Amino acid sequence: MEAQVLHSPGNSAVKIRLAPGEVCTTEGGAMIAMSGDMQIQTSTHKKGKGGLLRAAKRMLSGESLFLNHYTAGPQGGDLFLAATLPGDMFVYELQQENLIVQGGSYVACEHQVEIDLGWQGFKTAFSGENLFWLHLKGTGKVVVNSFGAIYAVPVEDEFIVDSGHIVAFQETLDFELSKAGKSWVGSFLGGEGLVCKFRGKGTVWCQSHNPPSFGKALGPKLRAR
Amino acid sequence: MQAKIAGGPAFAHIHLELAPGESIVAESDAMASMNADLDMETNFNGGFFPGLAKKFLGGESLFVNTFVNNTQKNRRLTLTQGIPGDIRQVTLKNQSLCLQPGAYICSTPGLKLGVKWAGFASFIAREGLFKLMVSGNGTLWYGAYGGLVDKQIEGEYIVDTGHLVAYPPHMKLKLQLAGGLFSSLFSGEGIVTRVEGFGNVTLQSRSLSGLAGWLNSKL
Repeated sequence: MEAQVLHSPGNSAVKIRLAPGEVCTTEGGAMIAMSGDMQIQTSTHKKGKGGLLRAAKRMLSGESLFLNHYTAGPQGGDLFLAATLPGDMFVYELQQENLIVQGGSYVACEHQVEIDLGWQGFKTAFSGENLFWLHLKGTGKVVVNSFGAIYAVPVEDEFIVDSGHIVAFQETLDFELSKAGKSWVGSFLGGEGLVCKFRGKGTVWCQSHNPPSFGKALGPKLRAR
Repeated sequence: MQAKIAGGPAFAHIHLELAPGESIVAESDAMASMNADLDMETNFNGGFFPGLAKKFLGGESLFVNTFVNNTQKNRRLTLTQGIPGDIRQVTLKNQSLCLQPGAYICSTPGLKLGVKWAGFASFIAREGLFKLMVSGNGTLWYGAYGGLVDKQIEGEYIVDTGHLVAYPPHMKLKLQLAGGLFSSLFSGEGIVTRVEGFGNVTLQSRSLSGLAGWLNSKL
Protein backbone atom coordinates (compact mmCIF):
# COMPACT_ATOMS: atom_id res chain seq x y z
CA MET A 1 0.00 0.00 0.00
CA GLU A 2 1.29 3.42 -0.98
CA ALA A 3 -0.35 6.52 0.45
CA GLN A 4 0.10 10.11 -0.68
CA VAL A 5 -1.55 13.14 0.91
CA LEU A 6 -2.89 15.68 -1.61
CA HIS A 7 -3.98 19.32 -1.10
CA SER A 8 -2.46 19.61 2.36
CA PRO A 9 -3.22 21.32 4.70
CA GLY A 10 -6.48 23.02 3.70
CA ASN A 11 -8.67 20.37 2.16
CA SER A 12 -6.56 17.26 2.12
CA ALA A 13 -7.39 13.89 0.60
CA VAL A 14 -5.24 10.79 0.55
CA LYS A 15 -4.54 8.77 -2.59
CA ILE A 16 -3.94 5.12 -1.80
CA ARG A 17 -2.38 2.75 -4.33
CA LEU A 18 -3.00 -0.93 -3.66
CA ALA A 19 -1.11 -3.86 -5.20
CA PRO A 20 -3.20 -6.67 -6.77
CA GLY A 21 -5.23 -8.36 -4.07
CA GLU A 22 -4.00 -6.04 -1.32
CA VAL A 23 -6.52 -4.97 1.34
CA CYS A 24 -6.91 -1.53 2.93
CA THR A 25 -9.17 -0.93 5.92
CA THR A 26 -10.86 2.48 6.20
CA GLU A 27 -13.27 4.43 8.36
CA GLY A 28 -16.86 4.12 7.07
CA GLY A 29 -17.85 6.99 4.78
CA ALA A 30 -14.32 8.12 3.97
CA MET A 31 -14.17 6.99 0.33
CA ILE A 32 -14.58 9.66 -2.37
CA ALA A 33 -13.44 7.73 -5.45
CA MET A 34 -11.87 4.39 -6.37
CA SER A 35 -11.00 2.01 -9.21
CA GLY A 36 -13.97 0.24 -10.80
CA ASP A 37 -12.91 -3.28 -9.89
CA MET A 38 -12.25 -2.63 -6.20
CA GLN A 39 -14.09 -5.09 -3.92
CA ILE A 40 -15.71 -3.66 -0.78
CA GLN A 41 -16.60 -5.54 2.34
CA THR A 42 -18.21 -3.82 5.28
CA SER A 43 -17.91 -5.21 8.76
CA THR A 44 -18.15 -4.08 12.31
CA HIS A 45 -14.73 -5.52 12.98
CA LYS A 46 -11.57 -6.61 11.31
CA LYS A 47 -11.91 -9.79 9.34
CA GLY A 48 -11.70 -12.68 11.74
CA LYS A 49 -10.96 -10.50 14.75
CA GLY A 50 -13.11 -9.14 17.53
CA GLY A 51 -16.78 -8.57 17.07
CA LEU A 52 -19.65 -6.29 17.77
CA LEU A 53 -18.32 -5.38 21.20
CA ARG A 54 -15.11 -4.06 19.73
CA ALA A 55 -17.09 -2.10 17.14
CA ALA A 56 -19.31 -0.58 19.81
CA LYS A 57 -16.21 0.39 21.73
CA ARG A 58 -14.80 2.04 18.60
CA MET A 59 -18.02 3.99 18.23
CA LEU A 60 -17.49 5.46 21.68
CA SER A 61 -14.38 7.13 20.36
CA GLY A 62 -16.35 9.04 17.77
CA GLU A 63 -15.54 6.70 14.91
CA SER A 64 -18.05 4.96 12.70
CA LEU A 65 -19.51 1.60 13.77
CA PHE A 66 -18.48 0.16 10.45
CA LEU A 67 -15.13 -0.39 8.82
CA ASN A 68 -14.78 -0.84 5.10
CA HIS A 69 -12.25 -3.26 3.63
CA TYR A 70 -11.19 -2.52 0.08
CA THR A 71 -9.54 -5.31 -1.93
CA ALA A 72 -7.78 -4.35 -5.16
CA GLY A 73 -8.43 -6.26 -8.39
CA PRO A 74 -5.85 -8.19 -10.45
CA GLN A 75 -4.27 -4.98 -11.79
CA GLY A 76 -4.17 -3.26 -8.40
CA GLY A 77 -6.19 -0.13 -7.83
CA ASP A 78 -6.49 3.41 -6.50
CA LEU A 79 -8.57 4.65 -3.64
CA PHE A 80 -9.19 8.29 -2.66
CA LEU A 81 -10.20 9.02 0.92
CA ALA A 82 -11.16 12.25 2.70
CA ALA A 83 -12.55 13.45 6.01
CA THR A 84 -15.64 15.56 6.72
CA LEU A 85 -13.93 18.59 8.23
CA PRO A 86 -11.40 20.68 6.30
CA GLY A 87 -7.89 19.94 7.47
CA ASP A 88 -4.68 18.03 7.12
CA MET A 89 -3.69 14.34 7.04
CA PHE A 90 -0.50 12.45 7.68
CA VAL A 91 0.76 8.99 6.82
CA TYR A 92 2.81 7.09 9.36
CA GLU A 93 4.44 3.68 9.09
CA LEU A 94 4.14 1.60 12.24
CA GLN A 95 7.03 -0.71 13.02
CA GLN A 96 6.00 -3.09 15.76
CA GLU A 97 4.63 -0.26 17.87
CA ASN A 98 1.50 1.36 19.16
CA LEU A 99 0.21 4.73 17.96
CA ILE A 100 -2.46 6.43 20.04
CA VAL A 101 -4.87 8.47 17.92
CA GLN A 102 -7.51 10.97 19.01
CA GLY A 103 -11.05 9.64 18.54
CA GLY A 104 -12.45 10.71 15.18
CA SER A 105 -9.05 11.12 13.51
CA TYR A 106 -8.59 7.62 12.11
CA VAL A 107 -8.89 7.44 8.31
CA ALA A 108 -7.32 4.21 7.07
CA CYS A 109 -4.65 1.59 7.68
CA GLU A 110 -3.08 -1.46 6.13
CA HIS A 111 -5.09 -4.55 6.74
CA GLN A 112 -2.75 -6.17 9.24
CA VAL A 113 -2.76 -3.18 11.64
CA GLU A 114 -4.82 -3.83 14.76
CA ILE A 115 -7.43 -1.25 15.71
CA ASP A 116 -8.62 -1.12 19.27
CA LEU A 117 -10.12 1.29 21.71
CA GLY A 118 -7.79 2.89 24.17
CA TRP A 119 -8.43 4.47 27.50
CA GLN A 120 -6.24 7.27 28.74
CA GLY A 121 -7.99 7.52 32.08
CA PHE A 122 -10.50 10.05 33.30
CA LYS A 123 -8.04 12.90 32.81
CA THR A 124 -9.06 13.08 29.14
CA ALA A 125 -12.60 14.01 30.16
CA PHE A 126 -11.23 17.32 31.44
CA SER A 127 -8.69 17.92 28.72
CA GLY A 128 -11.10 18.90 25.97
CA GLU A 129 -10.09 15.76 24.13
CA ASN A 130 -12.23 12.77 23.41
CA LEU A 131 -12.65 10.43 26.35
CA PHE A 132 -11.73 7.48 24.17
CA TRP A 133 -8.74 7.00 21.94
CA LEU A 134 -7.86 4.53 19.24
CA HIS A 135 -4.83 2.31 19.50
CA LEU A 136 -3.29 1.39 16.17
CA LYS A 137 -0.96 -1.51 16.76
CA GLY A 138 1.48 -3.63 14.78
CA THR A 139 3.33 -3.01 11.53
CA GLY A 140 2.06 -1.12 8.49
CA LYS A 141 0.96 2.28 7.23
CA VAL A 142 -1.78 4.29 8.90
CA VAL A 143 -3.53 7.50 7.76
CA VAL A 144 -4.76 10.04 10.31
CA ASN A 145 -6.66 13.32 9.76
CA SER A 146 -7.12 16.54 11.74
CA PHE A 147 -8.89 19.90 11.84
CA GLY A 148 -6.13 22.31 10.88
CA ALA A 149 -2.58 21.69 9.75
CA ILE A 150 -0.58 18.89 11.39
CA TYR A 151 2.92 19.37 12.75
CA ALA A 152 5.05 16.76 14.43
CA VAL A 153 7.05 17.53 17.57
CA PRO A 154 9.89 15.26 18.70
CA VAL A 155 9.60 15.26 22.50
CA GLU A 156 12.74 14.69 24.51
CA ASP A 157 11.87 15.61 28.05
CA GLU A 158 8.69 17.58 28.67
CA PHE A 159 6.40 19.27 26.19
CA ILE A 160 3.05 21.04 26.59
CA VAL A 161 0.22 20.73 24.09
CA ASP A 162 -2.94 22.77 24.61
CA SER A 163 -6.06 20.68 25.11
CA GLY A 164 -7.85 20.08 21.83
CA HIS A 165 -4.63 20.18 19.82
CA ILE A 166 -3.46 16.55 20.13
CA VAL A 167 -3.89 14.38 17.04
CA ALA A 168 -1.75 11.36 17.85
CA PHE A 169 1.27 10.30 19.88
CA GLN A 170 3.61 7.37 20.23
CA GLU A 171 2.98 5.04 23.11
CA THR A 172 6.46 5.76 24.45
CA LEU A 173 5.03 9.09 25.63
CA ASP A 174 2.72 9.62 28.54
CA PHE A 175 0.76 12.75 29.36
CA GLU A 176 -0.78 14.30 32.40
CA LEU A 177 -3.07 17.27 32.82
CA SER A 178 -1.27 20.36 33.94
CA LYS A 179 -1.40 24.14 33.93
CA ALA A 180 0.19 26.33 31.30
CA GLY A 181 1.43 29.06 33.61
CA LYS A 182 2.95 29.12 37.04
CA SER A 183 -0.42 29.42 38.75
CA TRP A 184 -3.78 27.76 38.15
CA VAL A 185 -5.61 31.10 38.36
CA GLY A 186 -3.42 32.61 35.68
CA SER A 187 -3.79 29.61 33.41
CA PHE A 188 -7.56 29.82 33.51
CA LEU A 189 -7.78 33.60 33.23
CA GLY A 190 -5.31 33.50 30.38
CA GLY A 191 -7.66 31.29 28.45
CA GLU A 192 -5.25 28.38 28.33
CA GLY A 193 -6.93 26.42 31.10
CA LEU A 194 -5.82 22.83 31.23
CA VAL A 195 -2.99 21.70 29.04
CA CYS A 196 -1.51 18.28 28.41
CA LYS A 197 2.06 17.80 29.55
CA PHE A 198 3.87 15.04 27.69
CA ARG A 199 6.79 13.14 29.20
CA GLY A 200 9.21 10.64 27.73
CA LYS A 201 10.85 10.25 24.36
CA GLY A 202 8.77 10.06 21.20
CA THR A 203 6.73 12.05 18.72
CA VAL A 204 3.46 13.90 19.26
CA TRP A 205 1.47 15.16 16.29
CA CYS A 206 -0.44 18.40 16.94
CA GLN A 207 -3.18 20.15 14.98
CA SER A 208 -2.75 23.88 14.41
CA HIS A 209 -6.43 24.66 15.05
CA ASN A 210 -9.08 23.14 17.26
CA PRO A 211 -12.79 22.81 16.54
CA PRO A 212 -14.00 24.28 19.91
CA SER A 213 -12.16 27.57 19.31
CA PHE A 214 -13.63 27.86 15.83
CA GLY A 215 -17.02 27.02 17.32
CA LYS A 216 -16.60 29.83 19.85
CA ALA A 217 -16.00 32.32 17.03
CA LEU A 218 -18.78 31.06 14.78
CA GLY A 219 -21.36 29.87 17.35
CA PRO A 220 -22.68 33.25 18.55
CA LYS A 221 -23.44 34.20 14.95
CA LEU A 222 -25.64 31.18 14.38
CA ARG A 223 -29.38 31.25 14.98
CA ALA A 224 -30.78 28.96 17.60
CA ARG A 225 -33.11 26.41 16.11
CA MET B 1 13.59 35.24 17.87
CA GLN B 2 12.88 33.10 14.88
CA ALA B 3 9.38 32.99 13.47
CA LYS B 4 7.89 30.92 10.71
CA ILE B 5 4.31 31.01 9.49
CA ALA B 6 3.26 27.55 8.29
CA GLY B 7 0.05 25.98 7.00
CA GLY B 8 -1.18 29.10 5.19
CA PRO B 9 -3.39 30.30 3.70
CA ALA B 10 -5.94 27.74 4.92
CA PHE B 11 -4.64 26.91 8.41
CA ALA B 12 -1.80 29.30 9.14
CA HIS B 13 -0.05 29.07 12.50
CA ILE B 14 3.17 30.54 13.88
CA HIS B 15 6.20 28.49 14.95
CA LEU B 16 8.42 30.60 17.19
CA GLU B 17 11.81 29.89 18.64
CA LEU B 18 12.55 32.07 21.64
CA ALA B 19 16.21 32.62 22.51
CA PRO B 20 17.13 32.76 26.23
CA GLY B 21 15.60 35.88 27.82
CA GLU B 22 13.23 36.61 24.96
CA SER B 23 9.50 36.96 25.43
CA ILE B 24 6.34 37.37 23.42
CA VAL B 25 2.86 38.65 24.26
CA ALA B 26 -0.02 36.58 22.88
CA GLU B 27 -3.79 36.71 22.77
CA SER B 28 -5.53 34.52 25.32
CA ASP B 29 -5.87 30.89 24.14
CA ALA B 30 -3.42 31.41 21.25
CA MET B 31 -0.95 28.79 22.49
CA ALA B 32 -1.17 25.42 20.72
CA SER B 33 2.00 23.82 22.05
CA MET B 34 5.29 24.73 23.72
CA ASN B 35 8.30 23.43 25.60
CA ALA B 36 7.24 22.75 29.17
CA ASP B 37 9.94 24.96 30.68
CA LEU B 38 8.74 28.19 29.05
CA ASP B 39 7.11 30.46 31.64
CA MET B 40 3.66 31.85 31.01
CA GLU B 41 2.41 34.92 32.85
CA THR B 42 -1.13 36.19 32.56
CA ASN B 43 -1.77 39.91 32.71
CA PHE B 44 -4.59 42.30 32.08
CA ASN B 45 -4.51 43.46 28.50
CA GLY B 46 -2.59 46.71 29.12
CA GLY B 47 -3.84 47.18 32.70
CA PHE B 48 -7.22 46.63 34.32
CA PHE B 49 -9.29 49.43 32.77
CA PRO B 50 -7.62 49.37 29.36
CA GLY B 51 -8.10 45.58 29.49
CA LEU B 52 -11.80 45.97 30.15
CA ALA B 53 -12.03 48.49 27.33
CA LYS B 54 -10.34 46.11 24.92
CA LYS B 55 -12.58 43.23 25.91
CA PHE B 56 -15.88 45.01 25.70
CA LEU B 57 -15.04 47.61 23.08
CA GLY B 58 -12.29 46.14 20.96
CA GLY B 59 -13.51 42.57 20.81
CA GLU B 60 -10.28 41.24 22.30
CA SER B 61 -9.76 39.30 25.51
CA LEU B 62 -9.47 40.80 28.95
CA PHE B 63 -6.21 38.97 29.51
CA VAL B 64 -3.09 38.43 27.48
CA ASN B 65 -0.37 35.89 28.10
CA THR B 66 3.34 36.64 28.11
CA PHE B 67 5.61 33.73 27.32
CA VAL B 68 9.14 34.13 28.66
CA ASN B 69 12.15 31.94 28.02
CA ASN B 70 13.97 31.83 31.37
CA THR B 71 16.09 28.84 30.35
CA GLN B 72 19.56 28.77 28.82
CA LYS B 73 18.44 27.15 25.55
CA ASN B 74 16.25 28.09 22.60
CA ARG B 75 12.66 27.14 23.32
CA ARG B 76 9.84 26.30 20.94
CA LEU B 77 6.35 27.85 21.00
CA THR B 78 3.49 27.46 18.51
CA LEU B 79 0.73 30.07 18.43
CA THR B 80 -2.48 29.98 16.41
CA GLN B 81 -5.89 31.59 15.99
CA GLY B 82 -9.37 30.14 16.43
CA ILE B 83 -10.53 30.56 12.87
CA PRO B 84 -9.02 28.91 9.78
CA GLY B 85 -7.19 31.45 7.65
CA ASP B 86 -3.97 33.22 6.89
CA ILE B 87 -1.58 35.05 9.23
CA ARG B 88 0.55 38.10 8.45
CA GLN B 89 3.74 39.29 10.13
CA VAL B 90 4.46 43.05 10.11
CA THR B 91 7.25 45.13 11.60
CA LEU B 92 6.25 48.47 13.10
CA LYS B 93 8.87 51.18 13.55
CA ASN B 94 7.26 53.87 15.66
CA GLN B 95 4.12 53.26 13.66
CA SER B 96 0.55 52.27 14.38
CA LEU B 97 -1.82 49.84 12.76
CA CYS B 98 -5.56 49.41 13.27
CA LEU B 99 -6.97 45.89 13.38
CA GLN B 100 -10.48 44.50 13.14
CA PRO B 101 -11.76 42.96 16.41
CA GLY B 102 -10.28 39.52 17.01
CA ALA B 103 -7.47 39.81 14.44
CA TYR B 104 -4.64 40.29 16.95
CA ILE B 105 -2.60 37.15 17.70
CA CYS B 106 0.74 38.13 19.22
CA SER B 107 3.47 40.77 19.32
CA THR B 108 6.93 41.46 20.69
CA PRO B 109 6.98 43.35 24.03
CA GLY B 110 7.82 46.75 22.45
CA LEU B 111 4.32 47.07 21.01
CA LYS B 112 1.34 48.48 22.88
CA LEU B 113 -2.30 47.62 22.36
CA GLY B 114 -4.98 50.25 22.67
CA VAL B 115 -8.55 50.94 21.68
CA LYS B 116 -9.73 53.94 19.75
CA TRP B 117 -13.16 55.25 18.90
CA ALA B 118 -13.92 54.09 15.38
CA GLY B 119 -17.26 55.74 14.88
CA PHE B 120 -20.77 54.57 14.24
CA ALA B 121 -20.00 53.88 10.59
CA SER B 122 -17.53 51.22 11.63
CA PHE B 123 -20.10 49.72 14.02
CA ILE B 124 -22.78 49.41 11.36
CA ALA B 125 -20.15 47.98 9.01
CA ARG B 126 -19.67 45.20 11.59
CA GLU B 127 -16.10 46.34 12.23
CA GLY B 128 -16.92 47.34 15.82
CA LEU B 129 -17.60 50.67 17.49
CA PHE B 130 -14.01 50.82 18.63
CA LYS B 131 -10.91 49.79 16.79
CA LEU B 132 -7.91 48.02 18.14
CA MET B 133 -4.71 49.96 17.61
CA VAL B 134 -1.23 48.48 17.88
CA SER B 135 1.63 50.97 18.12
CA GLY B 136 5.31 51.20 18.93
CA ASN B 137 8.44 49.37 17.88
CA GLY B 138 8.32 45.65 17.24
CA THR B 139 6.82 42.79 15.32
CA LEU B 140 3.11 42.05 15.15
CA TRP B 141 1.25 38.98 13.92
CA TYR B 142 -2.40 39.18 13.02
CA GLY B 143 -4.77 36.76 11.36
CA ALA B 144 -8.03 36.60 9.49
CA TYR B 145 -10.69 34.25 8.23
CA GLY B 146 -9.66 33.27 4.69
CA GLY B 147 -6.72 34.55 2.69
CA LEU B 148 -5.21 38.02 3.07
CA VAL B 149 -5.20 40.51 0.21
CA ASP B 150 -3.18 43.74 0.22
CA LYS B 151 -4.41 46.85 -1.51
CA GLN B 152 -2.52 50.11 -1.88
CA ILE B 153 -5.08 52.88 -1.69
CA GLU B 154 -4.58 56.32 -3.13
CA GLY B 155 -7.57 58.50 -2.46
CA GLU B 156 -10.52 56.20 -1.90
CA TYR B 157 -11.58 52.62 -2.26
CA ILE B 158 -14.68 50.57 -1.49
CA VAL B 159 -14.57 47.43 0.66
CA ASP B 160 -17.45 45.10 1.52
CA THR B 161 -18.38 45.20 5.21
CA GLY B 162 -16.63 42.63 7.39
CA HIS B 163 -13.65 42.20 5.06
CA LEU B 164 -11.35 44.94 6.34
CA VAL B 165 -8.64 43.41 8.56
CA ALA B 166 -5.89 46.02 8.98
CA TYR B 167 -5.43 49.66 7.98
CA PRO B 168 -3.27 52.62 8.99
CA PRO B 169 -4.87 54.84 11.67
CA HIS B 170 -4.98 57.97 9.52
CA MET B 171 -7.39 56.37 7.06
CA LYS B 172 -11.05 57.25 7.35
CA LEU B 173 -13.91 54.79 7.10
CA LYS B 174 -17.26 55.89 5.73
CA LEU B 175 -20.35 53.91 5.14
CA GLN B 176 -22.44 53.92 2.01
CA LEU B 177 -24.80 51.85 -0.07
CA ALA B 178 -23.13 49.62 -2.65
CA GLY B 179 -25.12 51.16 -5.50
CA GLY B 180 -28.58 52.60 -5.84
CA LEU B 181 -31.29 51.54 -3.40
CA PHE B 182 -32.46 48.66 -5.58
CA SER B 183 -29.05 47.18 -6.37
CA SER B 184 -27.91 47.64 -2.76
CA LEU B 185 -30.83 45.57 -1.53
CA PHE B 186 -30.75 42.86 -4.16
CA SER B 187 -27.14 42.64 -5.33
CA GLY B 188 -26.10 40.93 -2.13
CA GLU B 189 -23.61 43.68 -1.43
CA GLY B 190 -25.80 45.87 0.81
CA ILE B 191 -23.76 48.34 2.77
CA VAL B 192 -20.11 48.82 1.90
CA THR B 193 -17.28 50.73 3.53
CA ARG B 194 -15.56 53.58 1.75
CA VAL B 195 -11.93 53.83 2.83
CA GLU B 196 -10.36 57.25 2.33
CA GLY B 197 -6.71 58.24 2.52
CA PHE B 198 -3.34 57.01 1.36
CA GLY B 199 -1.80 53.74 2.52
CA ASN B 200 -1.91 49.98 2.46
CA VAL B 201 -5.00 48.14 3.70
CA THR B 202 -5.35 44.39 4.21
CA LEU B 203 -8.55 42.55 3.39
CA GLN B 204 -9.72 39.01 4.15
CA SER B 205 -11.07 36.85 1.35
CA ARG B 206 -13.90 35.42 3.49
CA SER B 207 -16.10 36.77 6.23
CA LEU B 208 -17.32 34.86 9.26
CA SER B 209 -20.75 36.51 9.11
CA GLY B 210 -20.97 35.35 5.50
CA LEU B 211 -20.37 31.76 6.59
CA ALA B 212 -22.81 32.13 9.49
CA GLY B 213 -25.47 33.51 7.15
CA TRP B 214 -25.08 30.59 4.79
CA LEU B 215 -25.12 28.07 7.64
CA ASN B 216 -28.16 29.69 9.25
CA SER B 217 -30.20 29.03 6.12
CA LYS B 218 -29.35 25.31 6.44
CA LEU B 219 -30.01 24.87 10.15
